[in-house]
Amino acid sequence: MKTSAVVSDTIGNYPSTSAEDKAAALERVRHAQTGDVDAFEVLYREHSPRIYALCLRLEGGDTSDATELLQDVFTKAWRRLDTFRGDCAFGSWLHRLTVNTMLENARSDQRRTARVLPMEDTSRLAGAARSSGVESRMDMEGAIASLPKGARLAFVLHDVEGYQHQEIAEQLSVSVGTVKAQLHRARRLLRERLES
Amino acid sequence: MTHEVIKHLLDDYVTGDLTEEARPPVEEHVIACALCAAEVESLRRILARAAELPKSIDPPADAWSNIRSAISRDEAAVRASSSVSRPSIWQRRYVLAAAAAVLVAVLSSAGTALYMSGHYSGARSNQAIANSSSAEGTPATLAAFTIEENNYLRTASMLQDLLDQQEASLAPATVAQLKASLRTIDEAILEARSALARDPANKLLLEMLSASYRQKVDLLRRTTELTRGT
Repeated sequence: MKTSAVVSDTIGNYPSTSAEDKAAALERVRHAQTGDVDAFEVLYREHSPRIYALCLRLEGGDTSDATELLQDVFTKAWRRLDTFRGDCAFGSWLHRLTVNTMLENARSDQRRTARVLPMEDTSRLAGAARSSGVESRMDMEGAIASLPKGARLAFVLHDVEGYQHQEIAEQLSVSVGTVKAQLHRARRLLRERLES
Repeated sequence: MTHEVIKHLLDDYVTGDLTEEARPPVEEHVIACALCAAEVESLRRILARAAELPKSIDPPADAWSNIRSAISRDEAAVRASSSVSRPSIWQRRYVLAAAAAVLVAVLSSAGTALYMSGHYSGARSNQAIANSSSAEGTPATLAAFTIEENNYLRTASMLQDLLDQQEASLAPATVAQLKASLRTIDEAILEARSALARDPANKLLLEMLSASYRQKVDLLRRTTELTRGT
């Protein structure tokens, strides 16, 4: 999945929108920036499914951690709304905030970084996969969840979310080479687990 | 390029990240090498499965209510913080204390007149006591003010002792008014002190605390003058 076609105001493969949609989205953000919690709830309803999917995968399918991360992200987003200038899509801003929040949480709780998540923690992801009618997705979600953290982050951000190597390297504060190595490791492990 | 080199380039080959120059030799090798061709196919299947994963998953229904509660708690904390920066509760006490001081000052106008004119022999000693506290300006920092505060406390204590000795010479209504006024000022001092403990850099709090102490000393001083004048 090459992401060279990513538009300038987005990161990853967050869907680009028409100019009209962008203006309307920005208007919703502006309302929320005035302290309008109802407007912020509209933004939450609009973006939370995508952010939650990211949270679930970043947290290895653990629904409790993913929900906590989602709540952290949107609470932080509310606090930091005034820092959103509209230079990028609001969804991209939220994505970046999600990854940063997950990394901050991981740094402040070393137990999280050391934990290897069990396969049964992927029930929510598995449910989503089943509901989409493709059984193999369940195995795929479980296999991603079982990856070592570094490999999982690289795989989720690059191969699922569509971030570019450089973007991931910047967010994780590692070199592009490290990102590529983690991606290679993730794909190799996934192939072993899914195709052996 | 050898097989060993090329097998490390297969990820970039599949994702389209190879340079224009590197791509043709890798492509040629993959066509010729069954091992690399199988690996390329395997990588493509993995990437295809990743691409098929749902990009949106509904969060738990109660997630928003938890976020809404966190926002409310934040807003409450901001309001509480603002009340420390702008001490509205004890600021009202400060105004009351000021009013109380003015009231007693009016009651003691005769004593004040005596004090100002220097007719009363004790005036000079009381003035010396009052001057031992700084009524001019407020130290810029809490640390500097703490030294000043000790002066205020010492002066207030000495004046209070004097007043206790002379209380019998005052009308009961005046004593009651005086005690009520002192209580109001003391409460204002206490609240300002605890607000400063939470927000030591707040200059407004520092100024108001200093003003409250000055009022107390001034009230005690004027009342002792009144007792001596009666």
